[in-house]
Amino acid sequence: MLEQGRYNYYEILELPTTAPQHEVTTAYERAKATYSGENPAIYTIFSDHEARELLTLIEEAYAILGNKTLRGIYDQRLLGGQAQPKELSYQSILTASRALFPENKPEEKKNEYKIDEIFEKKISDCKEWDGEFLKKVREYKCIGLDRMSEKTKINSYYLNALEGMDPSGLPAPVFVRGYVIQVAKFLGLNDKTVADSYMKIFRARTEPQHARSK
Amino acid sequence: MEKLVHSAKKHNKGGGPSLWVTASGKGGAGKTFVTSSLAITLTKLGYSVIIVDLDAAGANVHTALGQNPAPVSLRNWLEGQKDLAGIVTPTNLPRLSFVQGLWDSWCPIELSVENMRKLAAELRTLRCDFVLVDLGPGATEAHLELFRGADEKILVSTPEPTSIEKTYRFLEAYICSTLRDSARPEAFEDLLKTLREHRHRRHKKPFSFRGHLREHEGFQIDHFEALSRSPVRLVINACRSQVNAELGYSMKSVCSKYYDLGLDFLGALDFDNAVWQSVKNKEQVLIAQPFTPLAGQFLAVCKHLIAPEELRAVG
Repeated sequence: MLEQGRYNYYEILELPTTAPQHEVTTAYERAKATYSGENPAIYTIFSDHEARELLTLIEEAYAILGNKTLRGIYDQRLLGGQAQPKELSYQSILTASRALFPENKPEEKKNEYKIDEIFEKKISDCKEWDGEFLKKVREYKCIGLDRMSEKTKINSYYLNALEGMDPSGLPAPVFVRGYVIQVAKFLGLNDKTVADSYMKIFRARTEPQHARSK
Repeated sequence: MEKLVHSAKKHNKGGGPSLWVTASGKGGAGKTFVTSSLAITLTKLGYSVIIVDLDAAGANVHTALGQNPAPVSLRNWLEGQKDLAGIVTPTNLPRLSFVQGLWDSWCPIELSVENMRKLAAELRTLRCDFVLVDLGPGATEAHLELFRGADEKILVSTPEPTSIEKTYRFLEAYICSTLRDSARPEAFEDLLKTLREHRHRRHKKPFSFRGHLREHEGFQIDHFEALSRSPVRLVINACRSQVNAELGYSMKSVCSKYYDLGLDFLGALDFDNAVWQSVKNKEQVLIAQPFTPLAGQFLAVCKHLIAPEELRAVG
């Protein structure tokens, strides 16, 4: 049994230290099947309590060995003779990994723009959201079409048509509404009001054309 | 084929036949079936094989092979009338012979440890490539004597808890019998006491054979490493599902964690309707239905034992 002194994670999963990653997973799945539930193989050997303890160890071992980065750190310390198994707890490996690979995500570059009180007021008071005004807001916030397209995942061709309210360059109205919502969210506007108002204007401008074409 | 014969020669040191012993904790696990099937698979691979029936509780290897009982049996050897080579009876299957077990049940003779020692020595003088011994159920001292000395120790279990439980008891008996020979008597007594306490859950610390050997004097420290070099081979017979077959890996893991004993999972054998159908006709299944999936499983088991390199997908 796994008593007093801690065994290393390879011994817990019964693997050679050279085992490839897929064998680690197989060994883990087999070990998990063995010590959880009512496996007849542990009958008369391990009590439920002992099986649960073993299972905890197995989960811990897999949390390290199943992860290539953590396994690399573990191997380095264990096989390099830097530490005894009992000093290499799950937490210590995790801490070491955090030290090696700090989790600082690259800071999003904030859009710098001069706040213009008058224009801000105009935005908050605006009831009629057409393409032209959306363009103004975009330009006020110093966002290029390219960047808008990259962030909203909408082709800049459509964005252009959206701002020009040009139905020939846009898909069916239901998709247009979706685009407007994306754009409004990205510009930090209330997407529902903007979309409702934009679609109202959009329909009003396109329907006469439809009527004529019919 | 030449390559195979070559590896078999390498397999048995000394030049005599390789000795494979099949045992099980529980009766009816399929020892006789496994032994006879392994023998037939080996003969199909071109080896000559002799099966020795040592099941004192009712010898029936002859029935499993579809043969008539032989006129000479182990009785003649026990009573000193014939030597072992003199009671080997050929079968109508190529390269396969057998030694008739004791089936005169009206005058039972317990096979003693002494008998077994003598037998083991004589088995190695038989002229063939492989000698396969079919033991009776359970871990009697005589059984363990032969089992320990075998080149391949094959342990048969079925997926039922009853069989698994008895398989573990057999392994415990096996471990203790090997320890008893190498340990000082008082150290061994102490171990038995500890084991008894542990079984009744009165022992304070978790128990481990390896830990015990390390902490107590009078044992050889590398005992389990030595045992694991010639591991017991586990066969799970009559598997009805993948879960049953996976039991082999589970038992291997339990043995390693609890007994510190390296066990080799030889393979799982499917429950196959072809078996009872051929048994009913007193035929060996691999003869009656040579293309049943079991035949492939036995071939894999034999290859695992005599030429494991041939099973590897990448050389």
